[in-house]
Amino acid sequence: MIQFNYIAAFFLICLGFYTIVTKYNLVKTVIGMSVMDYGVNLLIISIGYTPGGTAPIFTAGELTQASYFVDPIPQALTLTSIVIGACVTAMSMSLIIRLHESYGTLDTREIRRLRG
Amino acid sequence: MNFTNMMDYHHFPIYAVMVLFLGAFVTMVCGTRPSKNPNNPAGLRAWIALCATGVSLLLLVLLIKPVMLGGETIAYWMGSRGIAGGYAIGIALEVDALSLFFALLIATAVFVSAIYSIRYMVHDDCVPQYYVLYCLLAGGVLGLVLSGDIFNMFVMVEILTFAAVALTAFRTRVYGALEAAFKYLVVGCMGSSAILTGVILLYAQYHTLNLAQLASLIPGSMNNATKLAFAFLYIGFSTKAFIVPFHPLAADAHGAAPASISVLISGVLTKSGIYGIIRLTWFLFQTMELGAMQFMLVFIGSVSMFVCVTMALAQHDFKRLLAYHSISQIGYVLTAVGLSTALGVSAGLYHAMNHTLFKGLLFLAAGAVLHETGTTDLGKLGGLSKKMPHTTVLFLIGAFSISGVPPFNGFASKWLIYQAAYQRAVETNNIGFLAAAVVALVTSTLTLASFVKVTQSVFFGQLPPEYENVKEVPFGMRLAMGILAVLCVLTGIFPNTVMSVLTEPAARAVASVGEYIMAMGFKATVPTPEVSFAHVGVWTPVNWLLILCIALLALTVAALAGRYDQVSASQGENVETKYQLFYGGEQNVYSQVGGGDLFWGFKHNWRHYFDFMHDLHSGVVNDYALWAVVALALAIMYMMIAL
Repeated sequence: MIQFNYIAAFFLICLGFYTIVTKYNLVKTVIGMSVMDYGVNLLIISIGYTPGGTAPIFTAGELTQASYFVDPIPQALTLTSIVIGACVTAMSMSLIIRLHESYGTLDTREIRRLRG
Repeated sequence: MNFTNMMDYHHFPIYAVMVLFLGAFVTMVCGTRPSKNPNNPAGLRAWIALCATGVSLLLLVLLIKPVMLGGETIAYWMGSRGIAGGYAIGIALEVDALSLFFALLIATAVFVSAIYSIRYMVHDDCVPQYYVLYCLLAGGVLGLVLSGDIFNMFVMVEILTFAAVALTAFRTRVYGALEAAFKYLVVGCMGSSAILTGVILLYAQYHTLNLAQLASLIPGSMNNATKLAFAFLYIGFSTKAFIVPFHPLAADAHGAAPASISVLISGVLTKSGIYGIIRLTWFLFQTMELGAMQFMLVFIGSVSMFVCVTMALAQHDFKRLLAYHSISQIGYVLTAVGLSTALGVSAGLYHAMNHTLFKGLLFLAAGAVLHETGTTDLGKLGGLSKKMPHTTVLFLIGAFSISGVPPFNGFASKWLIYQAAYQRAVETNNIGFLAAAVVALVTSTLTLASFVKVTQSVFFGQLPPEYENVKEVPFGMRLAMGILAVLCVLTGIFPNTVMSVLTEPAARAVASVGEYIMAMGFKATVPTPEVSFAHVGVWTPVNWLLILCIALLALTVAALAGRYDQVSASQGENVETKYQLFYGGEQNVYSQVGGGDLFWGFKHNWRHYFDFMHDLHSGVVNDYALWAVVALALAIMYMMIAL
């Protein structure tokens, strides 16, 4: 049932939003961002799925009208998106280390020198 | 491939992007030995970055002739993989006049800022890595505006967001730099994820990622999924343009980044967001005919204008103040684009160009002050005009331009925006457009007020004793500011040329979606409309200057002849001499009118508003994330109802 994938994907995105908005710990914020990313990835991969399709690997001449396979483009997009998600996590974690060094806390309510 | 084939101008867009990414790569592997020259610690790397940005600018300037004047749309398939079975299977670059217009702005700002960086970054460590990120940022933005593929746009958005976040946090010791970078990263990534979700929802509906093909398929076949995609994409590009409600991030990021990067974030990144919104509304979904969309853009633009200018009035930090003004000016652009007339779009693009020039100049001047004095706190600075005369003059040119004083460029574009709004109000009998014009006028006045404050508290008045030894900035930095100042004056004095060469072709491209689709080889059902730029007329600078002189003369004569009564200042006991109505500074040896002092009466009367706004911009990243989520929810609801 592919619909469950869509529901789960948007559930994950919303869960990510919820985590970012309500959690005051920077590490949890980053976890929220990752969950949001996973939701988007699940959405992408579900869109490319066709029930009963084969792997989209063909040599020249093999491809006919009757070929039935999953859409390869979303898979390529997901790879890009996963790489970017990993970069986001790495970068935010390195920022968090430096923030902890200079502020001595990970609480977002205390990391607010810039306001107004 | 032979040489003449390679030098065909159809290849220039991809060269312009690749030379920057190549520059980033080469700066990483070359020049690893530390430079002995104290004036250029990055050594070879700085020159590589400068060359890369220069070549990129040159390639784009060469495209002006065929694209801007010749009206050609360059469709370029990477690896010659074009259309198969009616579907775009390759990755495309598509350069119409709109893309080229933004690309030229970006390349100019990037090049000038690279000149400035060489001397400006002298005191920093890790300068070599700075140039790698610098080239990545430039390449990302340029790739975004030249791309003809929506997924490619998303990738470029991510590249530029990463580079911008890293560069915001570059000066880790600067007050709040890390914090600003983290906030920007969190909300920026929510925006990027929103763009990706929008892209994939469109792909699910139309099985293509090519912009031109999407533009030919989407209109007429809108369903709830495409409306959802539209809302996601709109919010995604809004975070990149920093329009309301994402403006606090801009203030944080611009303020904390090195000045040369503030120029890029303010002049270039915000433009990429505006470009995205224009592509989205005018090309992909072609929704600008709808009153609901016009209302949305004009409303958000007006709110951005007003909120950000009042936020700027309350700031005590030079760069943070400029950052809020930056978003205020972006509000002008969005309002003008939302007017949905050829004149409006043309005026909006004109203002976008002017914004890049004058805001770049102002940020560079702020950077020059920071470079020499080590602070951007308006309360601590003062009287620098004696020590830095060239910077002062250049800053004044920028300040006059942004405040819309004739004969500088800000006046030319704001004048056109007022006209366009008024014309639209008359055409549609809609008071809302007139209100937008009034908001724009009021904002312009407040902008002037705020720059009077900056000029007074930084460059005029008394010089604090600790800045006795301040010197003028090095020539390289003055050169960069000079280029922008000259451009500010030139685009102000010759508005007709600017419009006919740059903004009108771009505005025509915005109006003719059909050509954009057909250039890529897809069927367009949209007819190319007749485009008219009729308006009351651009201003003639000499006449206005004469009027200004006459008015000034009349005022002087009246003041001298009338000998108006000198009102005696209130002699309250606790009032410091500088708060009195007329003060000579006799009682206090040092009595500088600081950033917080000017307009204190105005601010006192409006204190409830300012206190409310101050509390609202709490600086907690959760709040800003909440604003993003709320904006997304509102956008989804609005699109579902309105489209």
